[in-house]
Amino acid sequence: MGSGPGGGDGKIAPSGRVAAGSAIEFRLDPGSGVPTYLQLVQQVEHALRLGYLKPGDQLPKVRDVVASLAINPNTVLKAYKELETKGLTAGRPGQGTFIQATLSQVALPELTGLRRSLSGWLAAADGAGLDRDGMVALFSSALRDFYERRRGSRTRGSPASGETEGVA
Amino acid sequence: MTALTVPARAERDVSPRPVPWRRMAWVTWRQHRIALAGVAALLGAFAVYLELSGLQMHHAYAALIACHPADSTACQDAGALFTGSYGIKGVIAAILLQAVPALIGAFIGAPVLGREMETGTFRYAWTQGFGRWRWALAKLVLLAAVVTAAAGAFSLLFSWYFQPLFAVGYTIPFTPMVFDLRGVAFAAWTLTAFAIGALAGMLIRRVVPAIAATLAGYAGLAFAAGLFLRQYYTTPLVTNKPDLPGSAWAVSQWYAKDGKFAFPARGSQLVDAVMQLCHGGTGRGPGISGPGSPAQCLTQHGYTLWTNYQPGSRFWPFQWIEGGWLLALSVLLIAVTIWLVRRRAA
Amino acid sequence: MNVVETSGLGKRYGRTWALRECALAIPAGHVTALVGPNGAGKTTLLNLAVGLAEPSAGAVTVLGGVPAGSPAALDGIAFVAQDAPVYKNLSAGDMLHVTGNLNHRFDRAYAQDRLAELGIPLKQKAGRMSGGQQAQLALTLALARRPRLLVLDEPVAMLDPIARHDFMATVLAAAADGVSVLLSSHVLAELERVADYLILLSKGRVQVAGQVEDLLAAHRMLSGPAGEADRYADRPVVHVRRGEAQAHLLVRAGAQNPVPDGWEAHPVGLEELVLAYLREPGAAALPGPARGRGATMTEVAR
Repeated sequence: MGSGPGGGDGKIAPSGRVAAGSAIEFRLDPGSGVPTYLQLVQQVEHALRLGYLKPGDQLPKVRDVVASLAINPNTVLKAYKELETKGLTAGRPGQGTFIQATLSQVALPELTGLRRSLSGWLAAADGAGLDRDGMVALFSSALRDFYERRRGSRTRGSPASGETEGVA
Repeated sequence: MTALTVPARAERDVSPRPVPWRRMAWVTWRQHRIALAGVAALLGAFAVYLELSGLQMHHAYAALIACHPADSTACQDAGALFTGSYGIKGVIAAILLQAVPALIGAFIGAPVLGREMETGTFRYAWTQGFGRWRWALAKLVLLAAVVTAAAGAFSLLFSWYFQPLFAVGYTIPFTPMVFDLRGVAFAAWTLTAFAIGALAGMLIRRVVPAIAATLAGYAGLAFAAGLFLRQYYTTPLVTNKPDLPGSAWAVSQWYAKDGKFAFPARGSQLVDAVMQLCHGGTGRGPGISGPGSPAQCLTQHGYTLWTNYQPGSRFWPFQWIEGGWLLALSVLLIAVTIWLVRRRAA
Repeated sequence: MNVVETSGLGKRYGRTWALRECALAIPAGHVTALVGPNGAGKTTLLNLAVGLAEPSAGAVTVLGGVPAGSPAALDGIAFVAQDAPVYKNLSAGDMLHVTGNLNHRFDRAYAQDRLAELGIPLKQKAGRMSGGQQAQLALTLALARRPRLLVLDEPVAMLDPIARHDFMATVLAAAADGVSVLLSSHVLAELERVADYLILLSKGRVQVAGQVEDLLAAHRMLSGPAGEADRYADRPVVHVRRGEAQAHLLVRAGAQNPVPDGWEAHPVGLEELVLAYLREPGAAALPGPARGRGATMTEVAR
């Protein structure tokens, strides 16, 4: 296939690069076990943390993401909705989705306190005989249950979409 | 889907008007232009030959009839020379041209549906907005009209070409191999061959076998019509005069004695009778009525030769009859083809 | 609106039923994957939906109640059959012209721009194109008709990975523009990324039908001691895999159902789910009488 023109008018060049106008580009890791929409959410949050995305930046258009990654448009919509629910983005009708907040919303003293209690837990787990992978497995399992319970109580009446993160 | 995406669609009707018929003209032309060019080349090549050879023959004929006196040996020899050289060419041309309707029918008619089914492109063509049976009908009618018109025009040229050979009495218009090349017969046979091809293509669904089946089917029909059917379109006239009017077509001959049928004028029964009654005779063929011939011998023994014949004046009525039933058959075959298109499950 | 709705649909070829008692209601606005082993009836179902075949039993309507194969249905549905048939002796430009003539609606500008993007010259004969190019040509022609439903029969079976990716990207971009998509597929690994509605056909019958999200939420994989596996036969167990000591049960139960003591529950991926159902021809997961999101999965006789 030949390469066509990339362009600022939103057309997709066959090489699949997202048109200029968007700060980030998504990628997909099909083998990670993480659902697609969640990967997109995590990549936006990651980009926010690292500073690639700032408030006011536009996220890639749904159509562009779909064309470059070959994924279902409803998946992208779900990811963008999740980001909106988290308060990180806001959609402007006819224009797209824009970043409206940053991620570092936890105050510094809280962070220090959390870190200290985490170190304590790690020492206790180590003393009980868990190795590294064991700690990760236990933590992931508890994390998943925590969000499931919270989601189950938050979204009563609609089907539990269920955390579908893989378990180590 | 949410409001984030806006479908880019034009407005659509709930029950749309049909796509106009005329759209199929370009589609048909573009898809079949190679085959149509082949037919044009075939007819064109023959036409060039008939034109050139015909001009030669017409000149020679003109010289012939200008020859005076008509019954001198020189003019008689010129006549024999004329028929000798041009007669055989005419016969060969007529024989070769017998194949033309069959070839047109097979190579234009069979692939219309045969190729679509064989290559699977019907899955494209029959899911377009035009609709499958309208698509098939438009194609078949358009192509049928084109090949029929071309054949009709060609047969006019052939009639002009062959005229001198009729004039010198070399052959008569009713002769089977010439009858179906002239008048409306050539166009009608071409149309029928096309209809056979179209149906074969739809039934067999493979191009090459459909072509073979079309050629075979057409040949069978053409032979049956020429050899058995055509003579009886209207009841033949009967005569016992030995000589028929010039352009009459002898359908069958037989010998009768005392008002009763005895035996046909050819075949083993005749030979037996001649052997019995004429002590071997002179060995010349029956029907030649010089002294000592078997015909005269049989006449002396009381046998009369009767002939069923069609007078030459019936040429055009026969053309219309043949054209008529071929047209009806073609319409029927195409109707069946369209019905199969409507009905067929993928 | 349901883009495809069937009731009691069946199709018989001679004595064999290629499809039986097929009851579906595929909602608009989705990318629907039709999955199943060879000979399961996928092509038959698609042919019935686009009007290339007539039902032997039952009925099929499309685009909100329009009879399949009728002029309105032909107008609103674009079909790309297996091997992307195009006229091999015609050029790409000719195919544009032909398709434009055969339809009410044809966006010639879109088609020409798209072919230019793909690097397919208009003068190129379709027979000389690569498999990927032919498929993209057929898809371009279909999308230029601005259909409401795009139906694809094993569209990427013959394509190399890059061609496959580009083809699906084009299809999904159309879905993003509002075209409903129904495609049959063998490739299970990519299903979860691409489809949000699933139909699983097995031996001519619908085994599974529903939104992917709902299906995944309604199933879990329970892992536990092999000895206890039979104790849970009363649960809607779809498939069992067991070793000497450990067993895995695929059950039709959501996150809200309690997990037995000593057992672990994991979510299930789409590929694993489909394979399990394919291995258990008697099991089924079909939507209950209520349509739309929120319908619970009910079990059909096992």
